[in-house]
Amino acid sequence: MTETPGIRYYDLRQVSGQSTHIDVDMGVIESAGTTFYNKAVIRVLGPRGWGILQIDNYTPVSGKKFDELLASAEKLALAAEDTISLGDAPRTIRAVPPVKEDCRDVSIGEKAELLLAVEKAADRPLVTSRRANYLERIENVRFMDSSGSEYSYEICRSGFSVMAVASRNGTVQMGYEPDHTIHGFNLRHREDMGRKAADMAVSLLDAGLAKGGKMHAILDPELAGVFAHEAVGHASEGDLIEEGNSVLKGRTGEKIGDASLTIVDDPSLHEFGFEPVDAEGIAVARTEIIRSGKVNSFLHNRQTLAAIGNGVAGHARSMPGEPPLVRMSNTFIETGNATDEEIFAECKNGIFLAGSRGGQVDPGRGVFQFNAEYGYLIENGEKTRMVRDVSLSGEILKTLHGIVLCGKKRVMHSGYCGKGGQSVPVSDGAPLVLLRDAVVGGSGVD
Amino acid sequence: MRWWVAVAWIEELFLKGEKRVDELEVYCFSGTSVSADLKQRRVSICSSSVESGLCIRTIDKGKIGSSSTNDPQQWQACLDAAIAGGRLATPQEWRGLPDPVALPKEDLAYDPSLTVEPAMAQELLHGMLDGAAAHPEASITSGGAGISLGEITFANSHGIRYASRQSEVSVSLEAISGQSTGYEFDHAFSRALVNPEKVGEQAAFLASRSAGGQDIPTGEYDIIFSPMAYADLLSAIFVPALSGRNVLQGRSKLAGRLGETIAAPLLSLYDDPHRKGADGSTWFDAEGTPTTRLDFVRAGVLTAFAYDLKTAYRAGKISTGSAIRGGFAGLPAIGHHNFVVDGKRDELFDEPAIYVHSVVGAHTANPMSGDFSVEMSNPFRVKDGALAEPIRGAMISGNFFDLQRQVTALGKESRSVGSYILPPVKVNNVRVIGK
Repeated sequence: MTETPGIRYYDLRQVSGQSTHIDVDMGVIESAGTTFYNKAVIRVLGPRGWGILQIDNYTPVSGKKFDELLASAEKLALAAEDTISLGDAPRTIRAVPPVKEDCRDVSIGEKAELLLAVEKAADRPLVTSRRANYLERIENVRFMDSSGSEYSYEICRSGFSVMAVASRNGTVQMGYEPDHTIHGFNLRHREDMGRKAADMAVSLLDAGLAKGGKMHAILDPELAGVFAHEAVGHASEGDLIEEGNSVLKGRTGEKIGDASLTIVDDPSLHEFGFEPVDAEGIAVARTEIIRSGKVNSFLHNRQTLAAIGNGVAGHARSMPGEPPLVRMSNTFIETGNATDEEIFAECKNGIFLAGSRGGQVDPGRGVFQFNAEYGYLIENGEKTRMVRDVSLSGEILKTLHGIVLCGKKRVMHSGYCGKGGQSVPVSDGAPLVLLRDAVVGGSGVD
Repeated sequence: MRWWVAVAWIEELFLKGEKRVDELEVYCFSGTSVSADLKQRRVSICSSSVESGLCIRTIDKGKIGSSSTNDPQQWQACLDAAIAGGRLATPQEWRGLPDPVALPKEDLAYDPSLTVEPAMAQELLHGMLDGAAAHPEASITSGGAGISLGEITFANSHGIRYASRQSEVSVSLEAISGQSTGYEFDHAFSRALVNPEKVGEQAAFLASRSAGGQDIPTGEYDIIFSPMAYADLLSAIFVPALSGRNVLQGRSKLAGRLGETIAAPLLSLYDDPHRKGADGSTWFDAEGTPTTRLDFVRAGVLTAFAYDLKTAYRAGKISTGSAIRGGFAGLPAIGHHNFVVDGKRDELFDEPAIYVHSVVGAHTANPMSGDFSVEMSNPFRVKDGALAEPIRGAMISGNFFDLQRQVTALGKESRSVGSYILPPVKVNNVRVIGK
C-alpha cells in the first residue's frame, strides 16, 4: 500500500447487512419488511486531526482507487487544527457466541405468527390497545487499518417488544416489555411477555401518584442498571473527559462512593452490548470504572487513551456508516452481600422503584434524571401502596455515596443508548440496591 | 419542487411491478454533506458523506409491503422483498395511492447558493468561537457544524413524478464554567438564516451565568419554558396524542375530544408545511399527498388529528398530508412538517417567574397519561424584566395535558427547534421539587 506522507494512520470499517422488522398492532400485521444496507467509513489521521469519509453502498477497492479515497480523506483532514496522538492497546478478536437458533432458519411468516401470539396474550380485560414489534439485524463487519491489522465477523442481534395500554374512566396507563439478544431467535413461547405488559398496564390504573421529595429508595436491578449507565457510565467516557465535559475529570483515585460500590463496563460479556472487537480494532476487556467506591478507570478509544490515560481502550463503537465514538456496552453495578430483607429493613421508610422508561445525563454538570416504570411506598420495611410516574434525579458526586447496600443477584436488561446521533445496543444491570437520600420526582401532593 | 428528470430504472420498476401488484411507489434520496467538529477550541474532525437510498412500497388487495436499500442497482431485489413482505401483511381497507397534481416548482427549503465545502463548516465553527468570546470565563467543550444538500425523487404507479431539493446548515456548541454547562444550537436551510455568533454567545452565557446557582424550596411556581424546553415536552407527550393512528388504536388521551377546549384559549397549534424560511417546508408529503395547513388546536379547541393514507383509510378519514419518513429506509409514518405554537404575544419577563432553558429527561415521560417529572437545566429566577440569579437545579413535575390549560402567555419571539417553531411559553402554578 502506498502511503502519502501526510497520513499518520488510516482505517476502514465497512458494515453490510440486512434488517427485518415486523410491526403488529391490535392483531393486525401493520408492516413487515427488510432493509438491505452497506455502509463504510474511512478515517485518515493527518498532521492536525481527522478526515473522515462516510460512503453509502461501498464497493471494496484496492491500489490506486483506494489511494484516491485516502487522498480525499486526507484533504478533509487538512481542515483540522488539533494535536492528536493514538495510544496503542492489544488487538485480538473474540469469537461471537454461537446462537441457539439462527433467525435465518425461521421464515418471516412464522416470525409474524409468533409475534401475533405474544401480542394476543396482552388481550385482557381493560386493555384497550396492544402493539408488538420484532427487529432482527444481521451485520457483517470488515475492518482494516494502516498497521496491517484486519478482522471481520458477523453478528445477529434480534428481539421484540410488546406494549399494552389499559384505560378506565379516562385514566390511561401503559405496560411495556422488551427482550433483545445476541443469542439467537427468542420469539418462541414468549406469551408471558404479553401477559406481563398487560398486567402492568392494568395494575398501574390503580396506582397512586408519588409525592416528590428526598427519601430513601430501593432500586430494582433494571432501574439500578440505568442508574449505573446514566449516573456513572457516561461521565466516564474518555471523549467527555478530554473535552472537559465530565465531573469525573481529574478524579482518578478519589473516593466518590461507598466502599461496597463497584461499577463495571464490559464489552466482552455475552450480553446485548457485546462486541467481539472494538470499532478501532482494539481488544475489548472488562473495565472497572468505580472500584470499591473510588474512581478507577475511564472508558477510552485510542485517542482519548493517549490524551488522558487512566483507563482502558477498546470502548470505541459505532453505528453502521458512522465514525466511532467512546461508548458503553454492558454496564453494571457489581453484586454485594446484602439480602433483600436486609435492604428493606435498612430502608425502613421510603420508596421502591422498578422498571425503566429511560434516563438522561448532563455529565459536565454531573446531573442525571431517569424514570421508573412503577414503584411502591415502603413503610416499616414493607412494600405498601403502588405508585406510578416516579422519577429520580441527582448529582453524580453526591448520589454515589448514597448507595450503601447491594444485593446478591445481578440481572441485566438490554436496550439501546443514544449519543452524538448514534444509537448502539447496550445492556445495563445491577443487583437490588439501597440508595439513601434520593431525590424523587412525582406529581402527587398531600 | 423542480422539473422531473426521467430515471430509467424507475420507469422499468413500474413496468415490472405493475404486473405483480395493484399499486407501487418509490421514494429515493441522495445527498452529500460535510461537517466539522470542535474538541474544545480546536477543529478536530472534518467529515464528508455521500448518501443514497430508496424505499419501495407495494399495495396488493389491501396488503402493504415495503423494502429499502442504499444500492439503487438492487431495486429488483428490493421489489421482490417488498412484495414478499406484503404477502404477509393483514389486508386493510385501501382506496388508492394519490394521483398527480400540479405543484409549484420552487423548492421551499433549499438554498441553491449553498455549497458543501469544509471551508464553510470551519467558518461556522469559528463564528461560534467568536461569539463565545463574550463570556471568557466559560470554556468550550465541544461543538459541530454541518452543511448538507439532498434530493428527493418520488414516484408512484398513478403517474406521480415529483422531485425536490433540500438543504440544511446546522451548528451547535457546548460550554462549561466550573460545573455549570450551557448548550445552544441553530439550524436552517440557508446559511443566511443561521447565526453562529449568537449560538456561541448563548452557550457561553448559559454556562457562565448558571454558575453558583442556589437551591429553591419545593413549591408551586410560575414557569417560563424556553422554546427548547417546551418543544421537548410537546414532542415527547402531546404530539403523539395528535397522531390519527394513536387515536384509532386507543393510545391517545385526546381521542374522542374533537371540538372540546383542551388548552388555554390563547393557544393555537398547527402544522404549516408551506411556511417561508422553515426547514420542514414541502409541497408534498412522504406518500405524495399534497400538503396543506393543518390546525390541531384553534384558540384552545381541539380541531383535528393527523393522518397518513393507511390510517385515514382505516379510520374512514382522508389523509391530511402528514406522512413523513425518518430517512430513506423509514416507512411513511404520521408526523408533521413545521409544527407551530402560536397565539397572542406578550411580554413574559414582567412578573417574577422561573425561566427554564432546557429539561433533562423529557423522553422518560408517560405519553399515555401525560405525567412527567424532569430535571431543569439552566434555570434562572426572573426579576424586573430580566434573568436574575441562577437556580442550582430542581425537578418540574406535573401532567403535560393539564399544563396546556395553565398556559398564561406566549413570548414575543419564535424560533426553530427541530421541526417545531415556537416562542417561550409561560405556565402558571407548576410543581417544582427542590433539593
